[in-house]
Amino acid sequence: MKGYWQLTLAQLKLFARNKTVIFWTTFFPLLLMVVLGYFLGDGGSQVKLQLGWVDYDRTPASLELKEAIGLQGGFNIEDFEDNEGQAKEALKEGELSVVLVVPQGYGAALAEEEVAPPLSLFYDEVDQSEAQLSFALLEKAVDDLNKQLVHFEERISYEKIGIKATHLTYIDFLVPGIVALMIMSSNMNGVAAQIASWRERQVLRRFKISGVKARTFIAAQITARMLLNITQSILVLFVGIYLLGAQMNGSWLLLLFYIVLGILVFLSIGFIIAGLSKTPEHAAPVAGFISFPMFFLGGIFFPISEMPSFIQPLVYALPISHLSDALRQVMNIGYGLVELWLPTLALLLWFIASFTISALVFKWE
Amino acid sequence: MCAEVMIRVNNLSKSYGDLQAVDQVTFNVQAGEVFGLLGPNGAGKTTTLEMMEGLRQPDEGEIYIGGQAVHKHPERVRPLIGVQLQSTSLFDLLTVEEIFKLFASFYASSLPLEAVLERMNLTEKRTSLVKTLSGGQKQRLAIGLALLHDPAVLFLDEPTTGLDPLNRRALWDVVNGLKKDGKTIILTTHYMEEAHALCDRLAIMDQGRVIALGTPDELIASLHMESAIQFTARINKADFSTLRGVTKVLHQGDQVTLYTSKLQESLTDLIRWADTHQINLLQLQTRQATLEDVFLHLTGRSLTEE
Repeated sequence: MKGYWQLTLAQLKLFARNKTVIFWTTFFPLLLMVVLGYFLGDGGSQVKLQLGWVDYDRTPASLELKEAIGLQGGFNIEDFEDNEGQAKEALKEGELSVVLVVPQGYGAALAEEEVAPPLSLFYDEVDQSEAQLSFALLEKAVDDLNKQLVHFEERISYEKIGIKATHLTYIDFLVPGIVALMIMSSNMNGVAAQIASWRERQVLRRFKISGVKARTFIAAQITARMLLNITQSILVLFVGIYLLGAQMNGSWLLLLFYIVLGILVFLSIGFIIAGLSKTPEHAAPVAGFISFPMFFLGGIFFPISEMPSFIQPLVYALPISHLSDALRQVMNIGYGLVELWLPTLALLLWFIASFTISALVFKWE
Repeated sequence: MCAEVMIRVNNLSKSYGDLQAVDQVTFNVQAGEVFGLLGPNGAGKTTTLEMMEGLRQPDEGEIYIGGQAVHKHPERVRPLIGVQLQSTSLFDLLTVEEIFKLFASFYASSLPLEAVLERMNLTEKRTSLVKTLSGGQKQRLAIGLALLHDPAVLFLDEPTTGLDPLNRRALWDVVNGLKKDGKTIILTTHYMEEAHALCDRLAIMDQGRVIALGTPDELIASLHMESAIQFTARINKADFSTLRGVTKVLHQGDQVTLYTSKLQESLTDLIRWADTHQINLLQLQTRQATLEDVFLHLTGRSLTEE
């Protein structure tokens, strides 16, 4: 028992004093999350559409239209006066979202209470999303103005009552993925490289001569790595939730349960790699080879549903997919153990299988 | 002095595939003795040591340490022995004191830390990280770890390999100090002067076999030659065995070594022979026979040859 505590303590000291390990296992995932979160996340800031205003009419009526559009919000209006060519050029350059041309006689027709000559709206066919958004905004503005002109009286109306829906952003997707990634790389790659190197340097053999039991050694490894990883995960979660604004709609206890389960799964896989590889030079590439596809395919950065369909069954067999899935469902939706029976079962099976194999292949030298 | 047998090794054999690493090795070690296994790299010293430490299962043979049958119950011998492994890079990022505490926690009882640090001359390095230690200090740390549980028998596997002469001498002092404490010490080395300086008795190993066994002086005396005459000369073939007193002749390339029990007469004859045949004797020197010569005599190869 004394040996167990001392081994745990020694491992924690080794972690704390190894700057490379601290950087790659803690600060790198944090940095990755913050950078991706800021660049790829929408952050709630709406993009303003650029509208080029070309006015051949220049009457109070056309000014009124311009104001009505401005009131809609969503548009930055740039006035090109009657310089239509220049406005279209800017649209082609991508500087404008749309160009609205008001023909001459627009104001005169309205004053006569006649149908005004149609306005022309030029848009970029390539950028459909900006165009569609512009159409909607303009239609609303024109509609309002039409109603006003014919003294339209609304008979039917509705009241908009906002309820809070689970509106998820990329950061909500990313934070649980980063936690899963951290658990995977820290344990699988870390334990495989370290144990293989200790074996080569005869550190393990030295332990064996001193009568250290394999179970004592492994238990101490698990304890130390568990403490380290839980701390790291909580750090990432706190930064993700309180700094980047990720949602936490579920139970912290359940989240912790999946973090612990994930650590056990990847620690066991790490021990298998360490047991099967003869040298550290051998272990690191093997761990890399296994973690690399999981890095991209495991639903850490991109949803699995966006991957090619032939690859999806394979992806769902990976433990990382189930871990990131479970963490995500707890955080995003607030699912409980019952709804998450599938990833829970998958992770438990992975743990039992890899732990059994790791115990069989562990060797001191 | 009534010598008690501490270690008994009987017909020990171990092979790896086609390689017979250890072949029918037999020897006894008395309590309180420093016993050396001397031989070139690959002679089977380390394998023999590892079987004695219970780290490897022998194919054949028996090992008893302090009455315990190591070949049957390797774990029972562990409290009795302390082991310094050939490679000693432990945890670079722990301090000397932390490593001692870690290893002390593996045993039910251990010596006071201060005493071990003092004995290994590491008191000043107590709070230093292992990575800042010199080669000699690391080696003393490894021996200190082997001593922690106060074992009766110590195994030191090439403790001075890679050390500079000064640190080597310092380590010899450590070994001699441990011998004074009454430890039984088994050490391997491929430095014959080290074997001569440290060991009460030694076994010379080559290709898995013990080819000679005895005190260093006995081994040298067994050559029946006290001196060696060494020189380099360009000669095709010459019969030096007719020179007076010469008991053995060794050719290694251009280098010739003549072993003799009558140095003056052999030398006189050699010089006369060279004059007659008008041959230039280069790098002519005479010296006392050493353990190196014993090895050369027995195998026809030099100890340090790869």
